[in-house]
Amino acid sequence: MKKIRLQGLDKDLYQDTLSNGLSIYMLPYEEKNNYFISYATKYGSDVTNFILEGKENSVPLGVAHYLEHKMFEEPSGEDPFTFFSRSGSDGNASTSYDYTQYICVGNKCFPENLRYLLQFVNEPYFTDENVLKEKGIISEEIKMYNDLPDYKLEMKLRENVYHTSAKRYDIAGTISEIKRITKDDLYHCYHAFYTPNNMFVLITGKFDVEEAHRIIEEELGKKKSKPLPKILFVKEPKKVVKEEETIVGDVEIPKIGFAIKVPKKSISLTGLECDLYLNMLTTILFGSSSEFKERVRQDKILNDIYMEWEDDAEFKTFYLLASSTEPDRLLSEIQYELSHISIVKKTLERIKKVWIANEVKMIDHVDKMQNILFDDIIHYGDVVDNRIEVIRNMDVKTMTSLVKKIDMSEVSIVKMMQKKNKEIMDS
Amino acid sequence: MQYTRKDLGSYNLHLIQTDKFKTITMRIVFHSPIKKNEITKRNVLSEILLQSTSKYSSKRNMIIEAEELYAADIYNNTQRIGNYIMTSFILQVLHDQYTESGNLEKAIEFMGEILFHPDVKNGKFKEDKLSIVKKNCEVALSSMKEDPVDYSMVRLKEAYDLDNPISYRMLGYKEDLDKIDVSNLYQYYLKMIENDFVDIYVAGNFDPEELLLLVKKHFKFRKIKRKRVPFEVEHKRCRRRRLIAKERNHNSQSKLAVACPIGKLKIYDKNYPLVLGNIIFGGGVDSKLFKEVREKNSLCYTIYSAYSKLDNMMYISAGIDKANFDKTVKLVTNILEKLKKGKFTDKDVNIAKEYYQSSITSIEENPMSIIREYLTEEMTGLDSYQERAQIMSKVKRKDIIRTYKKIKMDTIFLLEGDQDEED
Repeated sequence: MKKIRLQGLDKDLYQDTLSNGLSIYMLPYEEKNNYFISYATKYGSDVTNFILEGKENSVPLGVAHYLEHKMFEEPSGEDPFTFFSRSGSDGNASTSYDYTQYICVGNKCFPENLRYLLQFVNEPYFTDENVLKEKGIISEEIKMYNDLPDYKLEMKLRENVYHTSAKRYDIAGTISEIKRITKDDLYHCYHAFYTPNNMFVLITGKFDVEEAHRIIEEELGKKKSKPLPKILFVKEPKKVVKEEETIVGDVEIPKIGFAIKVPKKSISLTGLECDLYLNMLTTILFGSSSEFKERVRQDKILNDIYMEWEDDAEFKTFYLLASSTEPDRLLSEIQYELSHISIVKKTLERIKKVWIANEVKMIDHVDKMQNILFDDIIHYGDVVDNRIEVIRNMDVKTMTSLVKKIDMSEVSIVKMMQKKNKEIMDS
Repeated sequence: MQYTRKDLGSYNLHLIQTDKFKTITMRIVFHSPIKKNEITKRNVLSEILLQSTSKYSSKRNMIIEAEELYAADIYNNTQRIGNYIMTSFILQVLHDQYTESGNLEKAIEFMGEILFHPDVKNGKFKEDKLSIVKKNCEVALSSMKEDPVDYSMVRLKEAYDLDNPISYRMLGYKEDLDKIDVSNLYQYYLKMIENDFVDIYVAGNFDPEELLLLVKKHFKFRKIKRKRVPFEVEHKRCRRRRLIAKERNHNSQSKLAVACPIGKLKIYDKNYPLVLGNIIFGGGVDSKLFKEVREKNSLCYTIYSAYSKLDNMMYISAGIDKANFDKTVKLVTNILEKLKKGKFTDKDVNIAKEYYQSSITSIEENPMSIIREYLTEEMTGLDSYQERAQIMSKVKRKDIIRTYKKIKMDTIFLLEGDQDEED
């Protein structure tokens, strides 16, 4: 077991890899009461086509998420929620484009809960009846999200950015696709992707490291690793699908979705450094202390703004979602900002100071550290132990050269407005 | 962890010393009896104070100052608690040990600047700043239907009783917004600073004497106030027959919301058996509602119940298909009736107690939840969380049955989606 010092944060993390390839990450806290356990597979809704043992497979959209729901079925009839609740703990799970994780949060009975979590994820129990039962529940989940205008806008934007990537679809799939899902699909994907060499356990909070390691080894040490399926991705073209579209939504205030599809080839940086520079760039341009933000605030043309960078096989995609009473003016402000980028050292240094301070603040929160470490493992294949140092070393020269080379020519815009407003615009 | 409460006449200072965190968290809480026509003004006021001050002429300048203070977080919120409206200003800043000497004082001074040195000339706030805030409020008001769960709760409470404070819209009202101008807003500011009850909470690793001096130096509250209005909301008599109200929207999922007022009960019953009963009824993924309505009958993805002691009310919320409205209501009614008849086990009670104890243990995990706990104890006279853990462990099944008999389903609201689309 390795002990890794998280630099600048006075904390040690423990890491080990079992002989079957399963990775273990543990960040213990003496002074806290709660613990967070996550048992995860690097398999998410991204995967719909793959080759396993020489055979090509194609499964309906939303299988990874459906599988996550159905893992909570137990032959005894007592589900994991009930087991965890006996010690006042919570069980939960989530699926993303690139992972599925099962979680237990609590402050009592750590060894029992850890063991149980590992066991129930290791023992799928799918029947035709219990698979059928879930269709009503997941249909309501899909409908719930589709009713949210921001979500609808983001999904339309994804559809207009990607041609072939599974990121153009809802993680949960569609109602018609999930109707096709069978017990066999679930077992098939489970056996393909829930193997120790594709999975990891991450624990943060109050627990005993030695004890946790022993339980994980007992429960998972004997599991056999298997060759991982070859995942089939159809090459994603450089161009966006649609440059501009206006859709109808049940909104009083119009919304805009703005995406830039950046080929990774046009960015000279990789990994964490690349993500830090990209995020800092858009924070300087559109963040709360940017000149842009002050200008649109004064002009009263921006209400909410949300932005993020996404990683796809060959692209980094920037999303900006906003609501505005004057969507076209806001769009031209955004585009103006992107075509007049100049990075001032003083600003960059200030944002660096903010990010470093936030790293220090984060270590107080077990739940937030759990999320940060989890994302690191998914995105960088390992935890990052020197983030503060990397931030400290960021400089204007690298940022300027990034800005010079980055290809931001592929843009997709979606506007959402009420039916009557769209009719006025169309005419 | 050590808690000290100091009555400083015009405000109470609550100091919670703990070395568990790298930050110092301060929450300044203003509260006064809620008046429907003042909610909008209160929202506008708390926002305009964060737009500029006499020293910082724009929001950007304020944000930059906060960034320079090693990413000090400053924000506010306004909420209703029972019969009161409560506005909080929150400051969270890293301990000087991780920044530089004097950073904490500068941050407190900055908070003092926000509260006591507003951007005012000749008794008026700035017109341009007011128009920014008004526009934001207007947008928030016209976007309220975008969150169908929240909106269904608002409409449920209005259908229940429009005169009751529980039905007041915390986003405010357009007609009140139109009446706000730079002068009457300043008058309202003076009224809040002078007449509101004020409590200041600080949690973190600090020297209490030094902190007291810093607060006294930068926060100047003068007037001494005494409380009169009780916190708990009272209800008119329950309806004889349930009221069912419906409203349509263009969504595909419908939102069910139910209001269940609670009859007269002793304080113990409200603080203990009812809280435990709610965990069993609809408090989480192991509750009767979740197991029966979602897991057994596949009628929804989300369903829960929430108990509000100060509102004297239990609320139920679920996202369903409109075709299943009658079926869901019938099922929910049956589950509630079963609880009243005692059709649950000691095991259910013990599990609920575990959940409760677990939530008590989690209080000390972060500074905001510690402050929220002491604030709730202060405002509602709740026993301390250490005492609650003891008392709750002794609650019996029969106590829950007795108190649940006082719960009555009164108003049922359906926000009915008219879309039948499959995908």
